[in-house]
Amino acid sequence: MSKSANTSLIMSDAASRKQRIGTLLGQSVLFLITSLSTFAVFFIFYFILKDAVPFFKLEGFKEFFTSVRWYPSGSPAEFGALPIFVGTGLVTLGAIVVAVPLGIAAAVCLSDLLPFHLRQIVKPVIEVLAAIPSVAYGFFALVVFAPMLQNHGGAILSAGAWIVLGPILGLMVIVLGDLAIDKLRKFMNPKLAGALVFPLLGGLSLLLITRVAAQLSGLEISSGTNAFNVAVILGIMALPTVVSVSEDALQAAGRELREGSYALGATRAETIIKTVIPASVSGILAAVILGVMRAIGETMVVWMASGNASRIPEPWYNVLQPIRTLTATIAGDMGEADHVTGSSRFHVLFAMAFCLLAFSFIMNLASELIVKRSRKKLGK
Amino acid sequence: MQLQTRKVLDKAFSGLGLVAIAVMAVALLLILAPIMWRGSKAYVFKGTIEHRRVMLEQFDRGNPERFNKETAEAVAARAPLYDMMNAFEAELKEMDRSKRRDYKAAFKEVEKNIEVLLGPAPGDRKPVLLRQQYGQTRWDRSLVKLHETLYSEEWDYSNPDAMGVLVEKPRIDQFRGTALEPLFPYLEEHIEAMLRPRTTFYWQFITDTSKDSHIFGGIWAEVLGTIYLTLGAMLFAVPMGVVAAIYLCEYAKEGRVISFLRICISTLAGVPSIVFGLFGLAFFLNTIHVSDSKSVLAGSLTLSLLILPTIIRSSEEAILAVPRSYKEAALGLGAGRWHTVLTVILPAALPGILTGIVISMGRAAGETAPIIFTAAVSVGAPLKIWETLNQPTPALPWNIYNLCTEHEAVDEIRHVQYGMVFTLVAIVLLLNLTAILMRARISKKLRG
Repeated sequence: MSKSANTSLIMSDAASRKQRIGTLLGQSVLFLITSLSTFAVFFIFYFILKDAVPFFKLEGFKEFFTSVRWYPSGSPAEFGALPIFVGTGLVTLGAIVVAVPLGIAAAVCLSDLLPFHLRQIVKPVIEVLAAIPSVAYGFFALVVFAPMLQNHGGAILSAGAWIVLGPILGLMVIVLGDLAIDKLRKFMNPKLAGALVFPLLGGLSLLLITRVAAQLSGLEISSGTNAFNVAVILGIMALPTVVSVSEDALQAAGRELREGSYALGATRAETIIKTVIPASVSGILAAVILGVMRAIGETMVVWMASGNASRIPEPWYNVLQPIRTLTATIAGDMGEADHVTGSSRFHVLFAMAFCLLAFSFIMNLASELIVKRSRKKLGK
Repeated sequence: MQLQTRKVLDKAFSGLGLVAIAVMAVALLLILAPIMWRGSKAYVFKGTIEHRRVMLEQFDRGNPERFNKETAEAVAARAPLYDMMNAFEAELKEMDRSKRRDYKAAFKEVEKNIEVLLGPAPGDRKPVLLRQQYGQTRWDRSLVKLHETLYSEEWDYSNPDAMGVLVEKPRIDQFRGTALEPLFPYLEEHIEAMLRPRTTFYWQFITDTSKDSHIFGGIWAEVLGTIYLTLGAMLFAVPMGVVAAIYLCEYAKEGRVISFLRICISTLAGVPSIVFGLFGLAFFLNTIHVSDSKSVLAGSLTLSLLILPTIIRSSEEAILAVPRSYKEAALGLGAGRWHTVLTVILPAALPGILTGIVISMGRAAGETAPIIFTAAVSVGAPLKIWETLNQPTPALPWNIYNLCTEHEAVDEIRHVQYGMVFTLVAIVLLLNLTAILMRARISKKLRG
């Protein structure tokens, strides 16, 4: 181009046309390469579905979704995947219980509480948590955490109860005590009321915690590889996602909103709880969804440390029993099913993969929609 | 609410946030500490003379003269032990048949334990299996084995109400009054002279191939496999990703097609990694047959799809971060669009793009699920570069899983498992550290 431009600044028609075609061609090549990820998505859906459909043709839907008997190698083979779905749901739920409160609290801390230089130290911690390979988490769960749970399960659980219940009940005591003092104001001096109410409530909650902790410390955990173990580790793995996405959402709420709230005399906690979090609730929801997706799609940790027992725990919320998940079943059974390509045993794994894929696709769309809508609402 | 309480609540709220951060940091520490501490022991540990024997005989490493001198001393220390055993065997022959039967089984066990501890007795035939040709190579394992030699474990069911209890009984009690009795105190006292532990820095752990399925040697095959898979994935994903990012930032006009493209990219980012593995199996291997069996190529292709969205996003961010004035200046000087991208925008965005690439390299190196069905095998030799096109490879993430769940001697090779995890985590964290440092430099440059 530069050569012709040097000789004369006006291009001939032919050269101009040539250049336009060249540009068009280049752009279409770029477009094609860009749309590679679209092709990939379509191919993934197509090829998973292609191998999943034969299973439903051969075995139907009813057994897969409702039966609790999972004997893919028996004769006749039985493909009741209900316990596997329940197991997946159980560990995902557990992971959310761990990751969401912690993650949101940490995100609030990062976006509103910590000064800049401290934030620079905390951020790498989150990045490292996100970077550790899943197999290393799985190794930790299997080799370090599982024996610990098996040998000192009660102590760990009761310590956990202290850590979780302590702060929550502490806050509750403060709030309830304050409300009670307000009510008692008519009858007595507030100072006297405080001296009465706070020890009472504090004592009660302390009693509650010690009772719960004592109950938990009496528990015997028969196997360290169980749903609890996996849920905790998955929760830690999902934390970075939850933290960084909800921190972005909190930041996006903007300075004006906060300053308005401060100007009305709210404290920082009130500003965050009553103004900032409601304003960014959709972003936080998106963060939770992404955390769920991370937990549900994780393979190595659940494969190594969930115990891989395909039965529904008794009662269903008993997280101290081994369970089995979709991802672990796919990873574990493919080794044997690979030799029998074409059988139901092979195709059932693709059916499971399709369930996972469909679920994550819907979740992803939902989070995209939520984020888009919230952006519109905030006017950005 | 009282002002006082509101203030307290405010403080408590801040405290809660700090607790959350602290819990996160503690969790990180709790997970990393055992991996780092015990993993480093695969590299630095107290090696016994058996370790040096393995090094010399299997890897041709070490000073033979010094080794021979040391061996002579160790053999001298071991000689009384074998003398006692021979004496006891002679004594056995003299005994009544009924008495002999009692001793024989117990003696067999002692003999076996000592063989595990010190290696085959002098004069024995050389065992077939490599793991039986040597004694304990590590001092910590030697102490465990020594304990097993000195004490036998028995289940005690004397209390019918409770479960059986494992009790340890000194083996010496079984041999009171025989020629074998002095063996146990002798063994306990002279174990150091027999095995000669010495602090060893075995950095070759990372470059040695494994011998006898990871009982001896290092992890080179796995490390190399991981390197191949990661670089292969980058080879496909980086050009695609960067080009896509350029197109999305500089050429695409926002519209239906592009927002559809973006939805596809985020969908791709959300696909569970195990589904990528199945897709790789169904598409690359069973449909287009990039190779006859699992291969590094198929694994790399699968991994590249997995990291493509990450690379697109980070490259996009880096390109968008280039100040608008750069682009306008270039266009104003008469450069074409493509010319501007190549000579102005890309060089300015390069550090940011590289940061994203380095982070996704860490992700690709650590992913296990996509390579299970497409590339990984449990046992294999290091591959030559051209063999990657059609042969599977061992890889760090897969072999960590394999060694700690399916290996026949899981407890014996804990150090190798920890060493592998340590190596993998170290590789990934180093990559991330590089990325963090690069980003710090970029932000400094943009600010200053």
